[in-house]
Amino acid sequence: MSLVTVLILAAAGSFLGWRLSALGGVAGRLLPVFVPAGLFVSFLFHWPVITTGGVVTDMHAWVPSLGVALNLRLDGFSYLFTLLITGIGSLVTLYAGAYFADAPGEHRARFIFLILIFMTAMLGTVLSDNLIVMFVFWEATSLTSFMLIGFDARKPEARRAALQSLLITAGGGLALFGAILLIGLELGSFSLSNAATSAGQLAQSPYLAGILVLLFLGAFTKSAQFPFHFWLPQAMAAPTPASAYLHSATMVKLGIYLLGRFDAAFAQVPAFGITLVVVGSLTMLIAAFNALRATGYKAVLAQSTVASLGILVMLIGLDGEVAAVATAGFILAHALYKAALFFCAGTAIHATHIAELRKLGGLVRFLPFTAAAAVLASFSMAGLPPFVGFISKEYLFEAQLESGWNVVPVVVAVVVNGIMVAVAGVVSLRPFFLGRDKISKVDHGETLGLLFGPLLLGILGIVMGLIPGQVTRHLVGPAATALYGAPIDTSFSLWHGITPMLFLSLAAVGLGAVLAWKWTPIHDALRAAAWTQKIDADRIYHKTVAAILGIARGSTRWLQNGDQRRYTAIVLAMLLASCLWVIWRTGSFALPEFDTILPLPALLLIAAFVGALVAAQANSLIAALIGVGIVGYGSALLFVLNGAPDLALTQFAVETLVLVVIMAVLLRLPTRTQTTRTKTEHRFDAAIAIGFAGIVFIGLAAMLAIPFDDRISLFYGETSYTEALGHNVVNVILVDYRALDTLGETAVVAFATMGAWALLRRRRTDRKG
Amino acid sequence: MNSMIFTASARILFALMLAASIFILWRGHDEPGGGFVGGLVASMALAVVALAEGVPRARRMLRIHPMSLAGLGVFLGFVSGLPGLLIDGSYLTHQWVFFPNGFKLGTTMVFDIGVYLVVLGGMLALVFRLYEDAP
Repeated sequence: MSLVTVLILAAAGSFLGWRLSALGGVAGRLLPVFVPAGLFVSFLFHWPVITTGGVVTDMHAWVPSLGVALNLRLDGFSYLFTLLITGIGSLVTLYAGAYFADAPGEHRARFIFLILIFMTAMLGTVLSDNLIVMFVFWEATSLTSFMLIGFDARKPEARRAALQSLLITAGGGLALFGAILLIGLELGSFSLSNAATSAGQLAQSPYLAGILVLLFLGAFTKSAQFPFHFWLPQAMAAPTPASAYLHSATMVKLGIYLLGRFDAAFAQVPAFGITLVVVGSLTMLIAAFNALRATGYKAVLAQSTVASLGILVMLIGLDGEVAAVATAGFILAHALYKAALFFCAGTAIHATHIAELRKLGGLVRFLPFTAAAAVLASFSMAGLPPFVGFISKEYLFEAQLESGWNVVPVVVAVVVNGIMVAVAGVVSLRPFFLGRDKISKVDHGETLGLLFGPLLLGILGIVMGLIPGQVTRHLVGPAATALYGAPIDTSFSLWHGITPMLFLSLAAVGLGAVLAWKWTPIHDALRAAAWTQKIDADRIYHKTVAAILGIARGSTRWLQNGDQRRYTAIVLAMLLASCLWVIWRTGSFALPEFDTILPLPALLLIAAFVGALVAAQANSLIAALIGVGIVGYGSALLFVLNGAPDLALTQFAVETLVLVVIMAVLLRLPTRTQTTRTKTEHRFDAAIAIGFAGIVFIGLAAMLAIPFDDRISLFYGETSYTEALGHNVVNVILVDYRALDTLGETAVVAFATMGAWALLRRRRTDRKG
Repeated sequence: MNSMIFTASARILFALMLAASIFILWRGHDEPGGGFVGGLVASMALAVVALAEGVPRARRMLRIHPMSLAGLGVFLGFVSGLPGLLIDGSYLTHQWVFFPNGFKLGTTMVFDIGVYLVVLGGMLALVFRLYEDAP
């Protein structure tokens, strides 16, 4: 199946899954699973090509004039992602069916629909070889993530978290778009694979700094790296199946994916790697520290996810083959165990309606298989042999030792891994095995749908650890090769012998065991410490947002106070000031020479001038209206004299209609107005009006002094009949040359009058009722 | 307004102005005129009826709600570009049909009718509202 077919099927499948999951009973819970599962199987058919180091491509034109092509490309790295997306997607769909078993059908259907749409967007992101297309899908994942975090829209904290994640990830997406445009400007194409082979050109680019900063902003916001690390734990307001899927296994790894894709492109830029190692290490430390402080079951897991993402960012920053293998291996291992742990957390919270880790205990009596799955997953997370997590951790340490870095990242990695071991112990032992008397009954037991996902992932963690050769050849090897940009001879094996890495692993496990044992006192001490409250990034975020809103409110209140006179005064004063500034900057302007006075136009202008005076001075609104009318008809007559019959016709019609409309308004107003302006205000108004009139006069006169460039009018005059079959150039421009503009303006007219019409309508009902 | 002369001449004015507006719309592509002016004149024609015989009467003569008319206008403008998209691959590139006697008809006319209807509908929506409310 071609790649674009897969994408189309995924999108269509979302709608199919939506309707299927609205069915009652087992059918509604099981049938939607076939959508992601079918896609998973379709990707398996690409296995032979990928294993031999091949690449699957599928090219389609989309917007050729902008260089945007629907070019899809499947290599080892994206293959790893597609299998995770569709594989875990299938398990999430199955799990969600069971999780929402008691919920109304439409509720569950909406959730499944969002999950499947998200899956489509994810597939599009990792398959696109065109940066613009990738960006479109990238932003689609941010939007679906927003919808899923805010799924329980009635909870204020869910709405708050959803908005926060949207502001941060979509804001980062805009930065990424800037980076993409700069890359396109430098390389002349938006091809991702082309960028990866243009390392030399990118390193020499004058835009390099801009590209790097914007790219980092995009990747770090998406993957919750410091200083944007705080949105991910807040995103736990999403239903647990969504947390398992988006906020641990797939979406948050998109930042990693992007950085991995550009790793080869910026191979010659040292700042790229250094930034990644520093930011990754900082994120790891902060998240590990926050994991010790977190109280919620899901919150602890979320903090450990942020730490894992930090590890991945750091790994991409390290150079060398081993780092590429470690990255690919860790992405796989982490997705397996973290999704499983989220599933177990979801089952425990669902069963007890308690989200706090400390209040849970002894659940093994009620949820024995969930407890088993949690133990399997946490062993892999702790990096114990023979789980796949152990192998990936060995590679992590090896990559650090082989890189040119000093000992600091290694120490950070050991400490953070120690805390990860502790987290693994705490999230599996405490709620299920310790504190037997905390929970006396559960509302929901474990069902097959709730168990299948975590058990399968837990077992996969051990199976993959036992057959590392197969995993390497078919999955990790091709991914690492694609990441590194050159073939790697990988040996992903369980036993490396007595190596420095083994000792580092032992140190991490030892530290973790101590921390897990002393978890409660450490946790309490950290929560009690006042200084930890002050550096809460989430608070800083909310203060920033509140400040921005405050500025907006203040400026709106000052500028938009509802007084039309002030609006006009501000606009005219700004125009006046900018025109004066331009005149002052340019120093001089030429005025045309006046030689003859044309009697007829002069008479018209005098009449219009008198009309304007009447309008400004009259106390009666009707007299003012007539004054304005004289100005309007006067200018219409001027148009006639100067060979613009079209303009004149329109002006006449508009003037007349304005008269008709305003008369209806005037019928309701007192004929004589009370003047509300003070003398000073009047003088100010007059000064602005006279100044503005003067500048317009000078501007128009100066325009006449410049020789008239008639190329455009000649072009339209010559082509209006040959190209558009019309003799009336004005109308031909409106309906043909600039038809799209006119269509837009027509819509504006329609919507504006609709708005005015609606306002008039409300006033009427108010009066009646 | 209770002027008998005005009421009597309103019908004639209406017919003349409507005919003029359609004439202006029709000749717009080659001579001064077009959908926008045509729409303005047409809305004045109905405004005259509303002034002389009351808004309900004018509404009845129009039959369709003015806001729907404006919506129809935007829709026609949108639709007029589709033939260009299908034939030329370029949206809003107008297409023409030629008759043996030299007469030609293009999608520009559909576009112009759209503009005409938007202006007519939008203006009338406001005029009717304002005059309905008048004391």
